[in-house]
Parts: sequence; structure tokens; C-alpha cells
Amino acid sequence: MGAIKRLVGVIALPAALLCTANVALAQLYQGAQLVQADTIANVNAVVPGEPFLVGVRLKMAPGWHTYWRYPGDAGIPTEIKWQLPPGWHAGEIQWPIPLKLTEPGDIQIYGYQNEGLLIQQITPPKNIGGSTATLSAKVNWLVCEKICIPGEATVGLTLPIVSTNTAANADLFARFQKRLPRSPGANFSASWKKDANGLLLTISSPELSKSSSVEFFPSPKESLAVGHPRLETRNSDQFAFRVPLDASNRSIDSLPGLIVFGNSPNDPDGSAWDISAGPQIAANDNHSSLRELVRFLVFGFIGGFILNLMPCVLPVISLKIFGFVQQAGQSRTRIFRSGLAFVAGIFIWFIGLALVLVALKSAGREITWAFQFTNAYFVLVMSAVVLIFALNLFGVFEISVPQWLSRGAIASGSAHGDIGSFFQGVFATILATPCTAPFLGTALGFAFTQSATIILLMFAAIAAGMSAPYLLLTAQPAWLKFLPKPGMWMERVKQLMGFLLIATLLFLLSVLGAQRGVSALIWASAFLLVVSIACWIKGAFLVPSATFRARVIAFVVMVALVLGGAAYFIGEKFQSVSMVAAANALGNGWEKFTPDRLASEIQQGHPVFIDFTAEWCITCKFNESTVLETDTVRGAFSERQIVKLKADWTNGDPTITKMLKQFGRPGVPLYVLYPGGSAQPYVFPELLTKNIILEKLETINHTIAYQP
Amino acid sequence: MKIRSIAFVFFSLAAAALYAAESPAVGSAAPDFSVPDVNGETHSLSQYKGKYVVLEWFNPECPFVKKHYGSGNMQKLQGEYTGKGVVWLTVDSSAPGAEGNLSPEQAQKVMKDWKTKQTALLLDPDGKAGRTYNARNTPHMFVINPEGKVIYEGAIDSKATPNPNDISSSTNYVKVALDESMSGKPVSNANTRPYGCSIKYK
Repeated sequence: MGAIKRLVGVIALPAALLCTANVALAQLYQGAQLVQADTIANVNAVVPGEPFLVGVRLKMAPGWHTYWRYPGDAGIPTEIKWQLPPGWHAGEIQWPIPLKLTEPGDIQIYGYQNEGLLIQQITPPKNIGGSTATLSAKVNWLVCEKICIPGEATVGLTLPIVSTNTAANADLFARFQKRLPRSPGANFSASWKKDANGLLLTISSPELSKSSSVEFFPSPKESLAVGHPRLETRNSDQFAFRVPLDASNRSIDSLPGLIVFGNSPNDPDGSAWDISAGPQIAANDNHSSLRELVRFLVFGFIGGFILNLMPCVLPVISLKIFGFVQQAGQSRTRIFRSGLAFVAGIFIWFIGLALVLVALKSAGREITWAFQFTNAYFVLVMSAVVLIFALNLFGVFEISVPQWLSRGAIASGSAHGDIGSFFQGVFATILATPCTAPFLGTALGFAFTQSATIILLMFAAIAAGMSAPYLLLTAQPAWLKFLPKPGMWMERVKQLMGFLLIATLLFLLSVLGAQRGVSALIWASAFLLVVSIACWIKGAFLVPSATFRARVIAFVVMVALVLGGAAYFIGEKFQSVSMVAAANALGNGWEKFTPDRLASEIQQGHPVFIDFTAEWCITCKFNESTVLETDTVRGAFSERQIVKLKADWTNGDPTITKMLKQFGRPGVPLYVLYPGGSAQPYVFPELLTKNIILEKLETINHTIAYQP
Repeated sequence: MKIRSIAFVFFSLAAAALYAAESPAVGSAAPDFSVPDVNGETHSLSQYKGKYVVLEWFNPECPFVKKHYGSGNMQKLQGEYTGKGVVWLTVDSSAPGAEGNLSPEQAQKVMKDWKTKQTALLLDPDGKAGRTYNARNTPHMFVINPEGKVIYEGAIDSKATPNPNDISSSTNYVKVALDESMSGKPVSNANTRPYGCSIKYK
């Protein structure tokens, strides 16, 4: 340690008024030593390229305290500015669990007494010239007891540069690392609600049931004032905290902070969970105002409308346009009726989906948008449906509605077309679900926290949005007249559409392949082959001109083929193929996302970008190829040393489902940037552009901790 | 590409709509108080109805208070706004025996030595006024409009440090609130986190 410079902070009035503090290692007050600062490393020497830890230690006189990152009602957090050689990086401060202290007048502060060690990770470059490295840091603090005195010191250490090193100061580091907040356990859940008086945080974890003291220490962003959190209810392992907020901060939905628990308040053996890293994005207030509801319904409507434009509905759009062309020659009422039937199909699908979701939600399952695509059997059934439609378009067979159905329908000859339109509506909608259109996600994220009625309303709004253009076109058939007259070309177009559906089938199969691997794909294709033979039998033999006997035989063979194929290829072979992990190939600097990995990167202060994706999500693939995997964006990521994590939701990984839910998103894509340290994560829009990414990355430089 | 642009425009519109829906803080009525000043004269909020009132919590020994008085920043602000008809009340809520507690004589001396320019320095050793306002820091600032509504509560400026050199590069929230309100605009930043020493209550 260097020479101790002296500082005398005299607080006599008014002489001390303009007195500024000296740089000091020991802060003295009326002859007594208040704070002694030094810095230590957990290694005896530096190995190039290998990160190590340094801690700034503040030893305080008895009764005095320095402050946590959120000081509470008064005080200032300790500040550390590293002066490092070029190419060296310092991570964020790892703050030990603070004490919660109360002063007269119900003033609550968070800080440290006796001794505090603020640890940071230092990453040296791979190539270092010279034989020693000197690291120094300027430390500013405010130390208070009955009175407050600011202090500052420049502390430093010089370490040799070697090729192998050994640990140092292990006991000291272990003692304070034990006091660092951890990531919440697997069974932890948290949700935020907002009402007129502020925020309500509800947490639950079986681990907490043993603790007699459970508290929430908020850590709001700078300049945000929050009231004192208080425990409102406790119900075995469920706790509700109220955090009062001023009315002008109504835009705040949640707060980062710690869940601190132990046998008593300020338990030295207590623990804490940092709930800053996994942001709990607000489940909005259940008693949401009518205005908010209307706003979200409008979102739903617009989102539904946009579903028509998404790539995965495109082949179906062509189908629909084709349908309109066909109708153009028909009477006005018939066209409108077809339109209504199509719209009814859309509505029935969405309402049906909503009912299923409501049922699942009440059963306590994790609900997410497009969750059905994470199920291989759903994808398989979809493949079969798409294939059947394609074969129909190719003319292999005609779809005939069972007689009892057409008889039951309106007696007019148009019943057939109406039912066709109805199923086309259903079909178009099924294909649309995996494309979470922009901010439809927001609306749905909102809806999933709501009651069954609101979920139903929400889905109805989406259905209305999706069907609006068709209803409009069929109600105004004049516009349809601009479409060309029917003719032979229609047959050609129909066949061409068939190929588009085959392309869609390829996409579905690629999803299956990603989920289950090549052999499963082969068995699934074998089943599809059997299905197509059944279709051919239907087209060739199950026709009105055939004898009743021939029709019965054809029907039995068809059913036997499909059932037998399903039983053997799917029930036996397909099912026995185990899941394929890591479907989305990593590479290009991407690494696999796990909650632990994220927590550890954040703790080390690294900026992290997460790509929530799935093999079956076309919007994701589109974003990846046009934005994320371009040279500029890739370069920008590596230049700023941003850790790129890929969260692959192809098989519906429940830990990823949970993350998505935390962000209030029911499905992929989702792009999140943790700027480093305690900064709140930034959520990108679902449709990325290079500019959106690059502009946001610009801000990262400023948040990397104190580079020289 | 076209699909993307359309979708993007929709998204931006929606985002803008979300933001626009967040309304500024609605001020509540400022509670009344009656506290004697250094000359024994009692000041109550109600007597200043119709005028802007600034409340400033004060402790002459707190480094953050010294930051703003040592640099002349606080005096300048007091002078500027009392000149515009604003009532500026400085309140010392330090309990007897605690740091910053002043007898009327000591308080008069501080005002003279520091060349302060507030309307009055109020002595609130029992902390009644301070607790009524839930004042927690020195300095902790409140701005009350002529209708008696709180229009600003929080820090004096944007840089929470005891270093006077930071004053020139920080935004003075009190000044912004007064200027905005006086020119008929809503206060853009009506609530910030106050910084400073804790008030030394009884």
C-alpha cells in the first residue's frame, strides 16, 4: 500500500463549506479513520486473455455505512472507475446483498457496514506487452452515520504477467461471493401488476417457505423514486409485495431488484435472488380500464389484418384470390355468402383456438402462441392436410361433401361452395398462426394474463382483422369485376397453386426433420405416400358413376390404408424416433441459450443478445437471413463483444416458454438485448431491420463498464 | 420487402400510440403547514395561495447541501425566482442534537454568511412539516403552483453527486418545472428521485 494521504473533513460551519476532499486511501474524520479503501485480486498474477476478479474493499468505522447500487431514500452508491491499460475490460460491479437500515423519520436505506467488497471481473487482452500490469481505480463513496461525508480514493495494484497463475485471497473472495445474489431457483415465479397506488409484485417459490423473513429490495433505474416496498400478504410459499409509485411514473411496469430471505431481517447468513436478470414484464392490471382493452382489441384487429400479409399465409392467399375469381361469375348474393362462409371459417378457428387456450390455461399449462407447432404430431397432421389439398388442386380427386351435410345445409345449390369457403377460411387461419404478426404478440401477451372473456374477445378481434379484407371484397363485388373472367387458365392456375402447397409441405417437413431427425422424416413421408394413394383411390374409384359395391370396397381399402399406414408408420416407427436436440444449428458465434448461461453472462457484465427462434418460424428465418446473419450486423456484434445466445423453441422447450412468457410474448420470434450490467433488457420489434439493430448497438459502447 | 415496410409502419404507429397514452402526473393538493422562521414569524402554505411556492429541505452540514450553496447555485436560483414573485421556503427539519439542527441565532448567521436569498428559512426541529411532505433528503425539493397543487417533487438536479463541478453539466429540475409551469406548459419531469443526506429526524 502506498503512503496514506491525510484528509481532515472538518464540518464546522461555515469554514468547511468550500473545503474539498483530498484523494485518500483512508478517510479520516475528527482524527478517527472512517473508511479505508484498497483493492485486491483473486489471482497472484495475470495470464493474458484469462479473466480474473478484483475487488474494491471498503473498511468502515463501526456504525458507519456506505451504499448499495440503489441507496434507498438517501445516499449515493459507491462508484468505481477503472483506469485500465488499452484492451482491458472491467465487468459490472457485483454488489453483495446489502443491509436494509432504517433511520428516524422512516428513512430506509440500503448499504454496507464494517466491510464491503465490490467485485468486478477484469478481462485482459490475449496479447499483453511488458512484464507487469498496473490496474487502478478511482473510487467515490458517501459514508454516513448520523452525518454524511463523501470520500474518494485512487486504489490500485500491480500484477506480474505470466503464463500460469495461482489463486489468491481465496477466503476473502469466498466470503463475499457467498453474499452475492443468485438467480432464482427453477420453481420461482414472479409477476407484476399495476394499480392506482403503484406496483404489486407476487412471487412464489417453495424454497421461501422456510424463511421467516422475505423482503424485496428494489433497484430502480437512476432518478426513479419508489416508495418503501412492504409485504402485503404471505401464503406459505407465495408472497405479495406492494411498491408505491408516484402517479407520474405510471409507465413503469416492473422493477429490478432482489428477493432477500433469511431467518431474520439483515440475516448475515441469508440469501438473495436477483430478479433483475430475468425481467418480469408486467402482467397488466387485471382490472384493466376499458380504454386499454379497446386499444388491445384494436391491436388484435390490425394484427389479424397483417396475418394476411405474412409469408406463411401467402400460398393460401393465392387460393383465396382464385376463389374470388371463380365467384366473379356468380350472383352477388352468392359471392357475399361465400365471403361470409370464409369469414365464419376464420372466426370458428380462432374462437375454437381461444376455447382450447382457455381450457389449457385453466388447467395450468404454459400457453404460448403457435404452441401447436412445437408438437410434432400437429405438424404431421398439417402436412397431411396440405398434401391432400395439393392433390385436390392437381385434380387427383374432387372434394365432395357428405350427402347428409349438403342436405342439411341450405337447400340451394350454393351450399357446396359455402362449405368449401368455410373450410378454406379455417385452413388459411391454421397456416397463419405460426407467424406472430407485429404487435399481435403484444396484444396476445396481454390477453393471456386476462380472463377467459377477454381472451375470447381478443381472438375475435384477430379474426375480424384477418377477415376484414375478404368481407369487404365480397360485399363490394364491383371490385371483384376487375378480376379476369374464368377460363381454361383457371385450371392451370389451380395446378400451379398445388405446387405452392407442395412447397408449404416441404417447409412443414423441414420442421418435422428439425424436430425428429431424418429417419422420422422418412417414416412421416411414407405415411404421406399412403395418404396420397388413398386420395387417388378416392378420385379414381369412389365416384358417383361407380357401383355401390365398388364404392364400398374402395372406401374400405382407403380407410384401411390410412389407418394401417398411421398405425405402422406413425404409431410404430415415427414414435420410436427420439427427439433431436439442438435443431437450430449453432455457429457464426451463436451459443446455446440456457437461463444459467444468461445469468452468468449478465453477472459478469457482458452485453447479451438473445434470438428466440424456431425451425418452423418463417419470420424468424427471414430475420436471420436478411438481418442477423449479414456481415454488417455480425461485425457489429463481434466488435462490441456481445454474447449471442440462440434459444431454439422448435420443440417447445419449457424453459424457453417460460422466458417468452416473462417478456409477455406468447411465441417466437423474440429478440432481446441485455445492454450489460443492471440495465433493463431491450426488446426489439418482431420484424428486424439492420438499422434497428445497428442503432441500438450504438448505445452499447456507453454501457460497457468504464473503459479507459 | 413491401410486407416488411407495411408491417413496420403499423408497428411504429402502435408503439407511438402506446406512448402517447401515458399522461403526465396529476398533482395532488399540497398539505398545509405552519412553521416559524428564524425570526419567530410563522409561515403557512395557505397564506401563499395564488403564488408559486418552492420548498427546499435543508441541512447546512450535509455535503450535498454544501455542493449547491458552496457553488452559489442555490442562492442564484433563489434570487432568480423570488425576483419573479416565487415564495421560496427553506426548511430545516433536523432534530435537536442531530446534525444540521440550528438555533434561530445560528440559522440567521448561516443565512448571512452564505448570502442566501430565500423568502424565509423555517425551523422545523420536531419534523412536523418534513413528515407531512415525506421529505427524506437534503436537499429535497417541492414546487407548488398558485392553485396549491404539487407540480414537482424530487431532486434539485440530474447529477446525484456531492461534487460542485457537476452542477454546470446537470439539468436543474426545479428550474425546468418552474419555467415550464410559468409559461403554461405541463411539467415534463414532475417526479425524480431526490438525492442527498437523509433528513435527521427526531
